Amino acid sequence: MTDQIAQLPRLSRVAHAAHCKRCLSGALLLLFDLAAGLSDRRRCIKAINRLLIVFLRTLRLTVGSLSNNRLALAFYCIGSLDLLGVLDEHIPGSDRDEWRAWLWEQQTRGKYGSGFRPSPFMTGERQSNNDLPADYTDYDTPHIIMTYTALLSLAILRDDFSRLDRPGLLKFLRACQRSDGSFSTVPGSNESDLRTLYCAFAISSMLNDWSGVDVPRAVSFIATCRTYEGGYGQSPFCEAQGGTTYIAVASLSLASAGAGRVDYTMTPSERQVTISWLLRNQDSSGGFCGRTGKDADACYCFWCGAALQILGAGELVDSDKLAAFLARCQFKYGGISKAPGENPDPYHTYLSLAALSMYTPSIHKAGDNMESWKFKPLDPLLNAREDTASWIREHVPAKLA
Amino acid sequence: MPKKPQYDEPLFAELPEWADVKPVEQYEGVNPVAPIFYTPEYTDATNYFRAIVQSGEKSARVLDLTENIIRQNPAHYSAWQYRYETLIALLPTPTPSSHPLLTAEVELMDELAVLFLKTYQVWHHRRLLVQITREPQRELAFIKKGLEADSKNYHTWSYRQWILGFFGGKGSISKDGDEEIDEDLWASELDFVDVLLANDVRNNSAWHHRFFVVWACGVREGEEDRDRVLKRELIYSKQSISLAPSNPSAWNYLRGILTHTHTPFPLVSTFAQAYAYPRDPQASDKQREIVDLENPLPSDTAELPCAEAMEFLADAWESEGGQDKIEAAVKMWTSLANERDVMRKKYWEHRIRDAHVALRGELKKKAA
Repeated sequence: MTDQIAQLPRLSRVAHAAHCKRCLSGALLLLFDLAAGLSDRRRCIKAINRLLIVFLRTLRLTVGSLSNNRLALAFYCIGSLDLLGVLDEHIPGSDRDEWRAWLWEQQTRGKYGSGFRPSPFMTGERQSNNDLPADYTDYDTPHIIMTYTALLSLAILRDDFSRLDRPGLLKFLRACQRSDGSFSTVPGSNESDLRTLYCAFAISSMLNDWSGVDVPRAVSFIATCRTYEGGYGQSPFCEAQGGTTYIAVASLSLASAGAGRVDYTMTPSERQVTISWLLRNQDSSGGFCGRTGKDADACYCFWCGAALQILGAGELVDSDKLAAFLARCQFKYGGISKAPGENPDPYHTYLSLAALSMYTPSIHKAGDNMESWKFKPLDPLLNAREDTASWIREHVPAKLA
Repeated sequence: MPKKPQYDEPLFAELPEWADVKPVEQYEGVNPVAPIFYTPEYTDATNYFRAIVQSGEKSARVLDLTENIIRQNPAHYSAWQYRYETLIALLPTPTPSSHPLLTAEVELMDELAVLFLKTYQVWHHRRLLVQITREPQRELAFIKKGLEADSKNYHTWSYRQWILGFFGGKGSISKDGDEEIDEDLWASELDFVDVLLANDVRNNSAWHHRFFVVWACGVREGEEDRDRVLKRELIYSKQSISLAPSNPSAWNYLRGILTHTHTPFPLVSTFAQAYAYPRDPQASDKQREIVDLENPLPSDTAELPCAEAMEFLADAWESEGGQDKIEAAVKMWTSLANERDVMRKKYWEHRIRDAHVALRGELKKKAA
């Protein structure tokens, strides 16, 4: 009960922006810039020890999953700065040009059409030294999740999308769709689940062109992922999970809004069960868990929270408790972690800020710190700030001749 | 012991058997966004991998190289893909499931699945392999061990459901290309779930699996009498609830089977009622001694009322309709909103508003 009275601390916006900036410019800087900021020597050594641990973990991640996920990492960093409204302040125009140039360099062409690869991790130095980049090989194709991420990142950077190969992108979507309606991560791979389907739908919606996907077939795949709990699993027969439920709900809504005036959304009774399941995932900590009975995790504050917004039930969430949970997930030197006391990372930082963009705590709860908790509105369907989403709607579709 | 990349292990650049390959450095181009610091070992191995992919070589040493990369970065999907294709190129067709190369690969995957439990690629590679070995029973035994260590791992569970659906579900294809469902695969699934739920009755993954086995993926041999199955499952979930009343997983399962079989919720109202109110100190011992298998009572130590039971009962009443039932449901929701589940206060208030609107509509209809 004390939690209800206790005022929210400040949301450390500056520190969170710095965390994302550090991740963008390389993890090594983390150590030095923090050590420099601490005057008291003993505190400094303690902090450095703690950071060394964080740093070593980052490094392990670095060598591991991030190398072919660099684009996703960049998106969470750039996206966080955008949500915090400090992109202009932190990133001078020349840096943005460099970022855009790097992102466009990931758009590759080949026999399956065009899209974006996660990074040049499979591209050899000699191959690309020519002026005209060669077609990709079967091991260096575009990646559907990365393509979605790249389009969002470019929109955040206010690119004009004049370099986007639209027909190539539609061809790429077609190459990724499988006979069961789902989409593979890269053409020909058997790695497919609801995540990739959402990316295909989001890209079609951004292009305002659904000719690259077989919507009814894809929608029937989504239906096979629904479970008795009211959520959706990652693949047919899998347990209901917050992230994939967001993806199913958002996909159905995107298709209903864009693909030929057919209503693909759920029936009223299905909707009721889904809303109730999503709301039950907010546990006594104030945060949302991803599955029934699991611990709360900052990222599910977005996934479940955004699904509820799309279903028109956002006003039923306890925003004050949500904010109180995320306040406890803040790392004192910047960044937000999945749960209190864990290490921060750009993924959880971005999704927490995105959740707060939909769920603002009350003035009663935030008091003097209210300003720090205010965000511009978010488009839950595309997972971007509303003005970024408008930019996408204006610039990504093909211009009528 | 899992093998880790050792820093004193020679680089590929230092190995004479790789001297014929000219390594290909990674292209970086313009100023890289979010630079990644690679270790010398990773840079070395991927330089050789890029060279191999360019030349198209598919030989035994490529298996060493891709294993080395995967151990350093299990999410390197191109290394997995190329490894699979190399394996296929090295295996004879048709492939005997006992081929040493295949056996070695499966054993390696046993090790890597434990090391990199949460990596998608580990599991996808395994799916490809089992489609060659066609030994789903071995996989079920392997997964069982994995779940003993981490009983809620999503990847592990998904893989089990995929195995059962692929080899034991509708439209399964046998090795000879005939449609053939392997019913034996399912033989011990329910016992398996029972053991997991006996260890932890709140394990939602196990509850989900129970639903999958009993309801979602065809009808098992000997379970053709669905009324009997429903009765058995109702008793199972009620007894689980009586052991631990505030267990959303068990209540969700109960709701799930009622909805799936189009059984009205009020059929279970009597059961839920015993959990939806504070304990009645006046209740005579005699009353408590009557053992009703269909409606097991909460234990003496159970914390009552239980919010899940209150919610269930209110839903059951609402589904019955009529002024009395709706008012009873509203009373229940009010209690949830103000005392028992304050976190979802706004939701309960929303349910009350909706019910009032529906009731007014009903009354108007009657009046007209």
